Amino acid sequence: MPLGKPIELRRTLEVMKSPFNFLRRSADDQRIANFKRLSLFRRLTARELRELDELLHARSYQKDEVIFDEGDTGLGLFIVVSGRVKIVSSHEALQRLAPEFGVGDYFGELALFEESQRTARAVALEPTQVLALFRTEFISLLERDRGIGVKILFELSRTVVRRSRKLLTSQPHLPTV
Amino acid sequence: MKNEPESGILTWGVIIVVTCLILYLFERVLWLVVPGLLALVGYYCLQPLVRALVRSGLKHRTAGRVVTGLLFLVTCLGVILLLSMATTRAAGWKAVTAHYVQGGLDFLGRTEAQLEAKLPLLKRSALVQSTPTNLNAAAENFADKYLGGLLLQIVYWLPSLLLVPYLTYFMLQDGNRFKKHLIRSVPNAFFEKTLLLFDRVDRSLRSFLIGMVKLTFLDTAFLGVGLWLLGISHSFLLGLIAAVLAWVPYAGSAVGCALVVMVAATDFPNDLATIYGCLVLFVCVRILDDFVFLPLTVGRSLRFHPVLSVSMLFLGATVAGLAGLLLVLPVMGVVAVIIETLGQILTDERLRKRYRHARQLQRTTVEVG
Repeated sequence: MPLGKPIELRRTLEVMKSPFNFLRRSADDQRIANFKRLSLFRRLTARELRELDELLHARSYQKDEVIFDEGDTGLGLFIVVSGRVKIVSSHEALQRLAPEFGVGDYFGELALFEESQRTARAVALEPTQVLALFRTEFISLLERDRGIGVKILFELSRTVVRRSRKLLTSQPHLPTV
Repeated sequence: MKNEPESGILTWGVIIVVTCLILYLFERVLWLVVPGLLALVGYYCLQPLVRALVRSGLKHRTAGRVVTGLLFLVTCLGVILLLSMATTRAAGWKAVTAHYVQGGLDFLGRTEAQLEAKLPLLKRSALVQSTPTNLNAAAENFADKYLGGLLLQIVYWLPSLLLVPYLTYFMLQDGNRFKKHLIRSVPNAFFEKTLLLFDRVDRSLRSFLIGMVKLTFLDTAFLGVGLWLLGISHSFLLGLIAAVLAWVPYAGSAVGCALVVMVAATDFPNDLATIYGCLVLFVCVRILDDFVFLPLTVGRSLRFHPVLSVSMLFLGATVAGLAGLLLVLPVMGVVAVIIETLGQILTDERLRKRYRHARQLQRTTVEVG
């Protein structure tokens, strides 16, 4: 067929170029704009999001795949971009606190503050995409741009307070704050 | 990481073998390794500047171009300047080198005579008997034998330095993207630990390379000021050469010290106080270096037991010559970080089990599909 050769050539060129796809910048602006929809980053400006983009790592998980396990050393926080994540913990109170996370939610935030063991297992309930923010990279960001750090830490603190209050109110023998 | 197991003999065996292999490969492509390392130094030094420009409103790409453009201009000017100096002053350098070697040998001769006068036993020692009798000829021979080759080496290496801004540009522009692309190819089970590995390597390299630049600057400043106060000629150039020579652990410091004494002995042939003053200054700066500057700048991340360091220096020199001598410790530091972390990742039964589970899930999905 006369048209077959140009199409094959184009396909071959695409395959040859594919290893260098990571160098393409066209998708960057769209991805950064999507960050703004996530509650953790809603206070950040476009410039700040661009700087943060350097630190975020996108991961895809299959249904039933373990994201992290109880007892693992926590190294960072995960933000759900699509899909759902189930939390399974041997601690009953934690299990009741947040059994499931959806789009825009984040979990594992305590690992951003200290290198301790994970208190629960996180499993993808369906094909799920997450963004990971690694502790040491976050700390280096805090050191060089406190403005971004304060905005993220403020959102994180709100979530930690909300979850702590929920945990306290669910325990009848503890005083509520 | 907390509660990390100590590395065993097998791990250290692998680290040493891999280090030697890398040094062997580096020696084969030294024309690329040297500009690559300098570009890495440039990347770590210029990264804060690029980030500052991004924070001031420039796009990352534009900031990278502005900074590397400036670096390119500075490198070009430096190369042109050095080339013109090398071609016009080559003949003069030979005479100057011969003059200083002569001064050093004269000092050796005088010291020998003084020692002989005070300790007659030394008259029969091999050390004294081996001192060249014709000092003028020895100085001329040294200049003829080594200086020409050294100048040729400088002229040979200068053009490849133009690669430095080019490589720095790509590191500043796409270094982070490349790193993320590499991490993306790692299975989910090993993802967090791989991030830890990259972070450790990055920290080790950054602390070593930037630390060495700071250390060289501090050494040059202290030695330069000290030598200038003692009245030695070319004090800051001498300080810089001694500071650069100190990159080669142990042996570099000894050569630097000999160089300083040689110049002092030529400048002040009859003033023993100044010559010994230079020696004391050099020893003081080295002590400051080891106990104050080094912990402040490079840190202890890439430091090993002295026996291992010295053994590796010999091994590095055997495998890759001067390049091996210079690179063996930083390369071993990075290889140790990589192999130790890889060992932890690959021997972690929980992670392996999770990886097998993910593979199983993938196979099941493909079969159902």
